[in-house]
Amino acid sequence: MLSAWNPAQPEITDLIIQHDPNSLARLPVRKRDVLSVFSKFANRAAIRAVEALPDAAGILDDRAIDRILIPTHWEMQRLAEEFYHGDRVWDLLRRVIATIRNSGYRDTIRVIDVGCGIGYTARWLAAKLPLEQYQLEVVGMDLNSALIREAKRLAAMEQLNCRFVHGDAFSREHSGQVYLSTGVVHHFRGEALREFLHRHEQPETFAFLHYDFQPSFLAPYGSWFFHYLRMRTAVARHDGVLSAVRAHDAWTLIEAARRGAPGFASGIYGAKIWKTPAPRVFHTLLGMRRSLLEEFRRQLGVRTARLGELR
Amino acid sequence: MTLLLLYILALLDGLLCGARVSMGRSAQIAKRRYYLRAQIRGLFGAQIVSTIALAALLLVAALSPNRLALRADLQAAAGRMLWIFLPYAAMVLGNILLRMVPSTDIRSATSVMMLGPLTAIRPLVMIAGVLYGVWPSRLRETRLLGLCILGLMLGLECALNRRAAKEQSRELDSILAVAGEPHYS
Repeated sequence: MLSAWNPAQPEITDLIIQHDPNSLARLPVRKRDVLSVFSKFANRAAIRAVEALPDAAGILDDRAIDRILIPTHWEMQRLAEEFYHGDRVWDLLRRVIATIRNSGYRDTIRVIDVGCGIGYTARWLAAKLPLEQYQLEVVGMDLNSALIREAKRLAAMEQLNCRFVHGDAFSREHSGQVYLSTGVVHHFRGEALREFLHRHEQPETFAFLHYDFQPSFLAPYGSWFFHYLRMRTAVARHDGVLSAVRAHDAWTLIEAARRGAPGFASGIYGAKIWKTPAPRVFHTLLGMRRSLLEEFRRQLGVRTARLGELR
Repeated sequence: MTLLLLYILALLDGLLCGARVSMGRSAQIAKRRYYLRAQIRGLFGAQIVSTIALAALLLVAALSPNRLALRADLQAAAGRMLWIFLPYAAMVLGNILLRMVPSTDIRSATSVMMLGPLTAIRPLVMIAGVLYGVWPSRLRETRLLGLCILGLMLGLECALNRRAAKEQSRELDSILAVAGEPHYS
């Protein structure tokens, strides 16, 4: 089990789907290449899960991968639902929106959900809130075309007022006033994390909120138990636990944000449950333009207690 | 009364099994109808299980040379089972009620700390409850009936799960059929 918990290794889903960085077209993935990565880490759980994936002449069958990936994301949505993630996001986002409005910004605020997967957060916001009234445009973006297709299908099925785009969330044409993500930042390691945060430095962007697992001694065990009970596919069980192991600690996130996106005051929000030392499962890397800080603290009200040092 | 309580608990278990096997198989946001359908399916499954159990009980009673002794033995066994099943059901229902508290932290905690582990131990509780009920029984018929009911109860979730998996597989087929051909070269 412990070899599957080595944070230096990637997750299975990081490897079994590859896209051309320029055209975003899906690329063929050789099963042997994926297996060799996990062999280096002696990760037998991952090796077994990858070996079970169908392939043709050594190339992973993309239709079969999608067939695993889509229900895996349905199951991940179930976890988000159990953690009332939509409510949590809106609880903070509405204060960020109010801050931006009170600063005098009158145009539509575009909220971009970076690496949205099947777009749970974006769809939740669209389903639960009168976005027109708030003058909010919610856009989910992901590099994975199959997940974006599924997000679009789900949004259309419930006639939700949100958009999903297969593309780069930080490109000129798609940039937004607020960026948010869930379970994405731990996929960026080292310099890539700093670079990811640096890309938020766009003149029109006011804030970012990145939700991810909060690492702790108990997190991998809790995550293992939780995923073992809830998840049905080997890939989901493996990656779910590895995500908790690979999650960045607060200091790494803050350091990367302050170096990568110095135009924002950055800090961690919601690390502890109430005023106890008990950690929340998720914490939030929050970035806010400095000119908005005073108003943002006012908007937070009693929630200010959840905010770490923001600078 | 004892049998009625066991019947109600079986229906409750079926209802929760129905909900549980459907979780994580739909990514819609508004899922009230979806869960309602799943719960009704579970309830229906539990009704079938209860009917089979009742039929087995009546059959054994009809074939038994000493019906009065069998009835007393069965009632005693059922009473003992309640000592395990009632506290378990109370814990599950208590945690479901706690989810009405308007705090995301409390509601998540009931899921992670309580309902998850309670789900995990469900088969063990079933086995423990039935064994505790039938072990001290004097009659072989009571023990056989207890084991038969245990098998049915454990089989219910498997059957519901298999059905939900088949439904999910059909849905995935249709999603991927619409998605078209693979697009890498």
